[in-house]
Amino acid sequence: MAKHRGKGIAAIEYPTGMNQNGDPSQAWIKVKPDGRIDVFAGTADIGNGSKTIQSQIVAETIGVPYDWVTYDNSNTDSSPMCTGTFASRATFVAGMAALKAAQEVKVKLLEIAGKELEIDPSDLEIIDGEVIAKGSPQTKMNVADVAGAATFGHGELITGTGAQLKPYAAIIDSETGTVDSPPHSAISYATCAAEVEVDDETGQVQVLRLQQCYDVGRAINPTQVEGQIEGGAMMGLGLGVLENCYPYYPDVENRGGQFGSYLAPGMEEMPQIDTIMIENPSADGPYGAKGIGEMANNPQPPAIAAAVYDAVGVWVTELPITPERVLRALEAKAAGGGEPRREGKKVVFDEELSVNTVSSGGMRFEVPA
Amino acid sequence: MKVVGARIPRYDGVAHVTGRTTYVDDVRVPGTLWVKALRSPHHHAGITRLDTQAAEEIPGVHAVITWQDVPLLEYGHLSALGIPADEPLLAKDEVRYKGQPIALVAADDEEIAAEAVSRIDIDFEERPAMLDVRQAFDPESPEIHREGNWYKHFEDEMDRRQIRKGDIEWAFEHADTIVQGVYRPAAIEHAPIETQTCQVVPEASGRLTIYSCTQALYFSMGVVAAHLQVPLNKLKFVGGTTGGGFGGKVDTATETMCALLAMKSGKPVKWRWTREEEFLCSSTRAPWHMELADAVTKDGWILGRKMLTLHDAGAYSRFSPYGLTKHSFHHTGAYTIPNLQFDGYVVYTNRTPTTAMRGFGVTSVSFATETHMSRIADVLGIDPIEIRLKNANRIGDTSPNGIVYTDPSTVSTIQTMAEAIGHELPADYRTMTSEPRTGALLPEHLVAQTANPEEH
Repeated sequence: MAKHRGKGIAAIEYPTGMNQNGDPSQAWIKVKPDGRIDVFAGTADIGNGSKTIQSQIVAETIGVPYDWVTYDNSNTDSSPMCTGTFASRATFVAGMAALKAAQEVKVKLLEIAGKELEIDPSDLEIIDGEVIAKGSPQTKMNVADVAGAATFGHGELITGTGAQLKPYAAIIDSETGTVDSPPHSAISYATCAAEVEVDDETGQVQVLRLQQCYDVGRAINPTQVEGQIEGGAMMGLGLGVLENCYPYYPDVENRGGQFGSYLAPGMEEMPQIDTIMIENPSADGPYGAKGIGEMANNPQPPAIAAAVYDAVGVWVTELPITPERVLRALEAKAAGGGEPRREGKKVVFDEELSVNTVSSGGMRFEVPA
Repeated sequence: MKVVGARIPRYDGVAHVTGRTTYVDDVRVPGTLWVKALRSPHHHAGITRLDTQAAEEIPGVHAVITWQDVPLLEYGHLSALGIPADEPLLAKDEVRYKGQPIALVAADDEEIAAEAVSRIDIDFEERPAMLDVRQAFDPESPEIHREGNWYKHFEDEMDRRQIRKGDIEWAFEHADTIVQGVYRPAAIEHAPIETQTCQVVPEASGRLTIYSCTQALYFSMGVVAAHLQVPLNKLKFVGGTTGGGFGGKVDTATETMCALLAMKSGKPVKWRWTREEEFLCSSTRAPWHMELADAVTKDGWILGRKMLTLHDAGAYSRFSPYGLTKHSFHHTGAYTIPNLQFDGYVVYTNRTPTTAMRGFGVTSVSFATETHMSRIADVLGIDPIEIRLKNANRIGDTSPNGIVYTDPSTVSTIQTMAEAIGHELPADYRTMTSEPRTGALLPEHLVAQTANPEEH
C-alpha cells in the first residue's frame, strides 16, 4: 500500500461569444458637468468582473483616470440591451459596446475642446484627463473644463452610444454541419499540467499542483484574469475528483441537498496553482482581449485523469474520479482485467459503459474495423 | 496604455467583502408576501386532480397560481432562435421530474405559505421514470416526452446534430490503430451561495419592478414579457449583481411566477429558494455520454474520428440543443482532424432539466477528447506532448464545420507549458510555430483540408 505520484497534460480551445452569434450588447455614456463619466450597460456582473473591465475600457478609450468612471448596470430602465453574462462574452462583446460608446464621447469632447482652444480636433488628444495639442503639450485644457464648457457654454450634453453585434450565423448544413460564416468570435487556447498523488489503499486522488498556460488575447486586468483562471481551476478540480449530483448515476437517489452533503471543493483541496498568461491579441476584441471565463474549468479534468493513469495505471473515464472508482479499477487491474480489448487493429476501452450494452438494437455505436 | 492592463481592484470588491453589496435578498419592501411552491414528489406522473381551494381559504393566503394563470404557458428559452418550446411554466397534466413546480402560494409569511401548499389537493398517477440516457436512446424504450425520447428539431427537422467532413471510411481503412473509449462526466450543481431569489413589486403605474438575480437582465425580461404577453415597458428589471451564477441563473426560474403572484394579489411578493430547493430542484450541468473511435497512424497522426454523443437534457430541452451544437463544433478540440463523423443527440430523461454551465457544451467534449488523446499517446508509445503538437491546429487548418483557423495558439500554449514543467522537446517540436503546415507536418492526408488563411 503506497501513495503514487503522476502527471498528466491537456490542451484545449474555446470560443468567445454565443455560438452562432446574434447576441447584441449595448452601452451608453453621459458626461457630468465636471467631466466625470457615467457608463450605463445591461451587463450583469456575476463575479466575472465586468463592471471593472468595462470601466477600464471606457477610461482608457476616452483618456481619463479610472476613478472618474461610474458604472451602472442596475436596471433595465436606464441601461440599454445586453444579451447577458454567459458564453464568455462580457469582456469581449459587452466590452466592445462600451469601447464604441467611449470613442463617441471622446470625439465630442475633442470637438468642444477644439472650439475652446481654437485648434482642429484632429490635432488634439486626451491623456490622463487633459486635452492636449499634439506636439505642443503646453496648450491644454482639462476634460473637466471641456465638460463644463459643453454644459454651460455650448448648451450641449456629451453622450456616446455603442452597440456590438455579430449577426446571427443561422445557416448550418444539416448533413455536414458546415457553416457559411464563423459561428463564434475569437478562440482562446489553454494547456494544463496536473500533478496528483493517488493512495492505492483508499483510492483517494489528491491534486497537488496545476500548472496552466492561457492565451488570453490581452489581459485588460491581469489580476482579474488570474482570478478567473484560478477560480476556474478549482471548479475543474471539483468536476474531476469531487462533484456529482447523482452519486449513483443514472440512479437519482442520494442527491446531496446541502453544502454538507454535496462535495464541492473547499480551500483544503486547493493545490498549488501556477498561472502563465500569454497574449496573442484577438483581431476584433476590445484591446485584443479574448474571453476566457468559461474555459477556465475545462482542461483540469482530462489532465487529472491522465495523471491518475500515470500514477497507478488505471483510466477512470467517468467523472468524478472518486476513491470508489479508483479502487474498483485497481481491483479489476489486480485481477488481470481492466485492459482494453484488442481485436485486429482495434484497441477498445470502456466497453462496459457503451450504449451498445443497453441498446436493444438500432441505435448503436459501430466502428469499422 | 495605462488603465487597460493595470491591476485595478475590482469595482465592487470592497462592497462584496464587507457585506455591503445589495443582493436581491437584501431588498426590503414593506408588506411583502412570501412564496412557497408545490413541487412534484415524483420523477414522472400524470396529474389527475388539482384543486387549490382549501389553500386559498387559509387566512393570510393572498394568491395561489397554477398553469391556468399563465397567459402563455410554454415559452422556450430559445424560442427566439426558433427552437420550439416544450416546458410549461407550471405543470399542467403531467410532471416529468421530481421538484417540478405545479402551483405557488403567496402568503403573509413563509410558514403560512408552506401550510397552504400542503393543503393543495392533488392526485398523481405515477408513471415509470426513464433515468438512464442510454436506455432512453433505445428506440424500444417507452416514450417519456411528447416529442419522443430525443429532440427532433435541428435544421431540416433532423433528430441529431451531424458533422461530416472528409472521408471517414478512408481514415479507418488507412489507420494502423483504432482507439475506442467512452467518457461520462457527471451532472454537477452550479452551487451558488445566493439561491434563486426574486422580489416583485406591483407599482401604482401598473408596471412591475422585478428584483432579479439573473445573469441576463434583458434576456430574462424577454422571457417574462413573453409569458405575461406584455410589452417590455410594463417591466423594470433591477439587478446586475449576481451572487454566483455559473450559467444556472440564465434560467429565468422565479421571475415570471413571482410576477404572476404580484399581479394576482396586488402586493409585493418574494420567493427565496431554500438551499435544498437550490440543490434538488434547480437545473444542473448535464451528464454527458460520449463514445469516441479515433483512426490513428503508428507515428501519431489522427486520420479520423467517429463520435457519438448523448446529451442528457433531463425532462425538457431548455438550452440543450444549443449546447449540443456548440459541443459538435468543438469535438476535435485544439487539433486538426481531417475526417469526421459526429452524431449527437439531445436525449430526454426524467431528471431535473439540465442547463448552461461554465464551458457549456465544451467542458464535456474537452474531457472526452483530451483524455482520449492521452490514451492514444499511451497506446502508441508516443510522448503525450509531442502527439499534441503534431496534430495541433495551425493557421490555414479547418475546423469541423469548415471554418479556417487564422490565429490558433495551441502550439505556443503547449510549448510554454512544456518549458514550465521541464519537459524536454526535440528541436523540431521546440521551434514549431502556428504558421501554415509545410514539409513533414503537412502529410498527404492533411493537404485537402488546408485553406489559404488570407482568403478568410
